[in-house]
Amino acid sequence: MSERDLDLQLVRRIQDGEQQAFTLLVRKYQNRVANILTRYVRNSGDIADITQEVFLKVHRSLPSFRGDSAFYTWLYRITVNTAKNYLTSQSRRPPASDIDAADADSYDGSDALREVDDPEAILRSQEIKKVILTTIELLPVELRSAITLRELEGMSYEEISNIEDCPIGTVRSRIFRAREIIDKQLKPLLEY
Amino acid sequence: MKDINEKLSAIIDDELINDELIDDLLNDEECQASFYRYHLIGDVMRDEAPHQLLEIDISQQVMSRIEEQSVDTLIEPVIATDNVVDMPATKAKIYPENNVISFAKRFGQYAIAASVAGVVVVSSLMTSQPAIENNGLEVLKTVPFGGATPVSLQATQQQSQQAVKDYNERLDALLKDHQLQLQTQP
Repeated sequence: MSERDLDLQLVRRIQDGEQQAFTLLVRKYQNRVANILTRYVRNSGDIADITQEVFLKVHRSLPSFRGDSAFYTWLYRITVNTAKNYLTSQSRRPPASDIDAADADSYDGSDALREVDDPEAILRSQEIKKVILTTIELLPVELRSAITLRELEGMSYEEISNIEDCPIGTVRSRIFRAREIIDKQLKPLLEY
Repeated sequence: MKDINEKLSAIIDDELINDELIDDLLNDEECQASFYRYHLIGDVMRDEAPHQLLEIDISQQVMSRIEEQSVDTLIEPVIATDNVVDMPATKAKIYPENNVISFAKRFGQYAIAASVAGVVVVSSLMTSQPAIENNGLEVLKTVPFGGATPVSLQATQQQSQQAVKDYNERLDALLKDHQLQLQTQP
């Protein structure tokens, strides 16, 4: 199965009038959208508002989404266009060069852009990231290996089962257990 | 709950797509929160999370704004429906009047457009006609027989034949007139 299967299912539901399905798309992608926006938007205080704007545009355009491209590719384009419109409205120039959608997620914005960030918010974010990464380090080897192959290498359960030489059901269980352990540490740090 | 979350984990990885599970997910707020956190774990592992994470789950705000926009767009049809079904006397006038105004406005636009087009056509016809003043004196005419058409390679044979015919008819008329004048002279 491709990554877009769940996305497409949700998109079809929204197109059929089931608006609640859009909530899942927002929850899935809100941080990735915010991450892309940090390349363009200097004021971190505006990121949440512009992220909302992106998803409102996505929702308005969803009736015309035919699924020719991956939903995330489409979302990425809308995100970048929204960021550029924001810069235009702020009378600022957009970055001279764009970054490919494939590289955008791993792009770490310029440090120069961070002078107006909220230090407390950054501290909380760093704490969350630290807890996640530390918990992963402390996972049993088989769980850490399974979730790493899945999240970092993007492997399917079948590919992981071949590498780990175990049934697919075991892979599914290991990845879930890894997530549960991390989530147990993560949940108290989040307000939602 | 554990079983649901394990299925949720598989859904996130696109290893399990099931309509019933998606229905459960859509109806269970706790499941949706887990859905968000599971994705956040992956985002952080791949370094795809912003350096300053969003402090709130914006999905509810987005949905609220979508609902607001939907209500705004629905206001007009709702008013129209009220007028048709059980309209109070004050509201009853709104719908027909709006239609009349709209029709009159559109009709006015068409009338203006038609008038402008008519003026353009008439003026172009007037300016394209040769300025020939017929004062009845054949001798003063400087326009050649058959009209003063410009020399053109695009002139057709049919046009030339018509010109010759006109020329002959006119010549005959002149000769007859001349003979008549001779006969009437003393």
